[in-house]
Amino acid sequence: MAMTVGLSDILLISPMIALFLMSLVPITIKVLRGNQEQPALATLAQALIGAVAAIGLLLVFGGPGKTAFNNALIFDGVTQWMGIIAIASAGASMILMYENPSTKGRQFSELMFLSMNSAVGMLILVSAVDLLMIFIGLELMSLALYLMIAMSHEEKISKEAAFKYFILGSLASAIFLYGTAFIFGSAGSTNILSFMAEAPRLIGGNLLFLYGVCLVMTGFCFKVSIAPFHAWTPDVYQGAPTPHTTFMATAVKVVSFAAFLRLIATKSLVGSPHLFDMLQWLAVITMLVGNVAAILQNNLKRMLAYSSIAHSGYLLIGIITAGVSDASFFGASSVIFYLLSYSIMTAGAFAIASMMERSDAHVVNIEDMAGFAKNRPIMALCFAIFMFSLAGIPPTLGFFGKFYLFTAAIGEGLLWLAIWGVVNSVISVYYYLRPIVVMYMKEGEAELAPHSLNATMVTVIVSAVLIVILGLVSGPIFQAVEQSLF
Amino acid sequence: MLLTAIVFLPVLFALLVMIWPRERSLRHFALGLSLIEFILSLVMLRDFDPATPALQFVEKQMWIERFGIQYFLGVDGISLWLVLLTTFFAPILILGSWTSIEKRIRGFHACLFLLQAAMLGTFLAMDAVFFYVFWELSLIPMYFMVGIWGGPRRIYATVKFFIYTMSGSVLMLIAIIYMMYLTQEGLGHMSASLLDFYQLKIPFVAGTVLSLQTLLFFAFSLAFAIKVPLFPVHTWLPDAHVEAPTPGSVILAGVMLKMGTYGFIRWVIPLFPEAAEHWAWLMLLLGVIGIIYGALVAMVQPDFKKLIAYSSVSHMGYIILGLFVFNSYGVSGGLYQMLNHGVSTGALFLLIGMIYERTHSREISKYGGLAGVLPLYATFFFIVTLSSIGLPLTNGFIGEFLVLMGTFQSNPGFAAAAVLGVILGATYMLWMFKRIFFGEKGQLIMEADHPLKDLSVREIAVLVPLVILIFWMGVMPNHFLNYSKTSIEHLVNNRTNYNLPLPGQTPAAPTEAQ
Repeated sequence: MAMTVGLSDILLISPMIALFLMSLVPITIKVLRGNQEQPALATLAQALIGAVAAIGLLLVFGGPGKTAFNNALIFDGVTQWMGIIAIASAGASMILMYENPSTKGRQFSELMFLSMNSAVGMLILVSAVDLLMIFIGLELMSLALYLMIAMSHEEKISKEAAFKYFILGSLASAIFLYGTAFIFGSAGSTNILSFMAEAPRLIGGNLLFLYGVCLVMTGFCFKVSIAPFHAWTPDVYQGAPTPHTTFMATAVKVVSFAAFLRLIATKSLVGSPHLFDMLQWLAVITMLVGNVAAILQNNLKRMLAYSSIAHSGYLLIGIITAGVSDASFFGASSVIFYLLSYSIMTAGAFAIASMMERSDAHVVNIEDMAGFAKNRPIMALCFAIFMFSLAGIPPTLGFFGKFYLFTAAIGEGLLWLAIWGVVNSVISVYYYLRPIVVMYMKEGEAELAPHSLNATMVTVIVSAVLIVILGLVSGPIFQAVEQSLF
Repeated sequence: MLLTAIVFLPVLFALLVMIWPRERSLRHFALGLSLIEFILSLVMLRDFDPATPALQFVEKQMWIERFGIQYFLGVDGISLWLVLLTTFFAPILILGSWTSIEKRIRGFHACLFLLQAAMLGTFLAMDAVFFYVFWELSLIPMYFMVGIWGGPRRIYATVKFFIYTMSGSVLMLIAIIYMMYLTQEGLGHMSASLLDFYQLKIPFVAGTVLSLQTLLFFAFSLAFAIKVPLFPVHTWLPDAHVEAPTPGSVILAGVMLKMGTYGFIRWVIPLFPEAAEHWAWLMLLLGVIGIIYGALVAMVQPDFKKLIAYSSVSHMGYIILGLFVFNSYGVSGGLYQMLNHGVSTGALFLLIGMIYERTHSREISKYGGLAGVLPLYATFFFIVTLSSIGLPLTNGFIGEFLVLMGTFQSNPGFAAAAVLGVILGATYMLWMFKRIFFGEKGQLIMEADHPLKDLSVREIAVLVPLVILIFWMGVMPNHFLNYSKTSIEHLVNNRTNYNLPLPGQTPAAPTEAQ
């Protein structure tokens, strides 16, 4: 097979190239300065320039139906939206890294280098339509992330978290690769586009293909923490430095769902009713496990970790909807819109947690937030907005995310999943209200950490404003998402 | 623009009180703002045309085009008085909480205005999703109000209130989404407009719960029944009432509970006429149980705030009774009773707040002989008590009378049982009055270190408008009912193919869905 690389291919992957080149800047400067850190703000600025450049290039060169490298990468609406959401969340996490006690200071250049390379992996992942490319993206993203967690200043728990994440993540990758082999053996290709047309037929008749799809999906379920493959999530989210947790809970989850969406777009679910049933039950179990376990948590980060598991469950409803709807892109758009809202509110909530950490070993419990509303009224209000939005109370963005998701599900006849979804929303209200109760209704002396937090504060306020404003104009945004998918 | 101003000005007011520079004059400022809002609603009343059942002051804009969700406000004879009730209570509450709210007064007034906006939006929104947004939004300020300024068990009460109410309304959201798909099938375009929902003919099969209309009926009814609250889903109310600060209780009893009954009359009855008729017995039964059960439980309460809370359960039962007999007496009685209950129970909670501020106790047994010490207070309390038990010449009489008359026409058995509630109502209210105001001077009155002061000018100013309303509504009910008459008759006569025309439009014939 002759492989030619044209200019269009290079232009299409220019976001990744830009991001990679910018990632070299901080470490090169460090080497040239004789292993002396440049000011951290300069490093952060270089990283953010890279992120903005990547978003810009993605918008300029991407477009419907554009593919690169012999259909291995595609730059359609899904890539653009998911890429922008992921890079923006990664940027927000980098801002948190700049001010969090367990990540700032020493080795910041290396940390930025790794984060940006993880982001390159994300861009590969959102644009990949070849299972092997997906694997490469997944590994590039994850390997950088393992290192990032392991190099935290905190000595014990984060090392454990990194190790746990590494072992389980590698297992998931192995399962994924195993499934890819099955698919290659039965469909004759690893490219999703090339076996897309026959997938519904193959999955009904060819057991090997069915195994392959199941194994690949299991790999995804690990990555996006669908129960019962979620057990690593709370430990890793709790143990990792909060900015890295933000990174994992937003950007990594967004791109993993993007790849999941690529596989589900083959309509394999239509051909296999058992797989279809199975995924529905996984969605229900995930929502229940996440929400019920979150009620029991006292540690703020662990509570948010379980909440993010629950949100994976809601998102799986959207994924299933996208997998069975025939003509429309309603399901896929609702997933993208939900990821947009989920990323903003989750990033905001973790940013508040990050601001309260006084040292690299400081654990923030929910009860520690007592009196926060009195001492920091604006930050408390923002946190309340994030919680109400995560709970899906109108008129926040989170409500509209759920509204579109459930509307799409009901439109495809998945009424019972939508009912499970709203029942779980009610359960979740209980634990999302708890921090608000503590902040506003209990006496205490909660304060932010004493060091400078201006950049994180800006991130929080921007997220809160976005949640309110985007909630009110959610209609046009949703329409834009949907139109970009055609 | 008028309705937009009425709904969204309070949001602006909430922001204004947050940034008002001087805390000392904050209350005066807030009072002024709430009066502006009230005057605005009076302007609406002046320009309202009582002769047409059509929606008036309509404002219609596409909001989320993809699903046909509109920014759609409108008022008719059914919602008119509820809007006025809401705007009327805001200045009264601000004046009434002048001394009782001591901490975070900025936040308190902001919550009050936000709550007002959410409730007005609920009464005026004519689009299902738009309505739902306001319906849920109203939980947030109330949640803070009870949770921050409430009594000792406030956190339990407020979380219970929030989760209870929300668990009822999420199924309504599913039902709304389902009905949006029904409009797509039936009318060819997706829409969440209430007027388009009215056009649907939703299939109904009697004798099974699993018929579409019945399921939708129950999904909506659950949300509204919890808000009303109807027996047996009333258990959040006593907790919320007892723990809420005085203004919170007043607004809860005065206006918020009416969102539930309004939901029945605006959404459930006209949208699902066959199911409503088929299941009316259940609603009537629950209403009557609520009347009697509420009254009996109220009778044995040692705490008079809890007593009034249970009397609310009893009184709201009458409204349900009136609405679900589907004749014009019953429905207008139900609507009138919504206003009555708002005025009298609101006034009762204000009075309770006033005495609580002086003695810091709500235990009936610690009072006694208060009439001799606080004669003016006793007089006001007596008038409001009489209104609450429905004595002729007070507002309560008209409402209860119309409801019972309507119920006798269609269901004499239920009416007979409900009359029992009237007697019980008189019993527990008068008994409470006797124990507090007459007899031996109670422990609190004797022990009071300093003599209890009678009502201040401010407190009289709070109560006088309510007392005037009590008599005005009792003596000249037509001043009020005339505005709603056309709308109610339109609803009663066209129940099975109800349609709210827009101004200058003739109602279109209903079309088949599915």
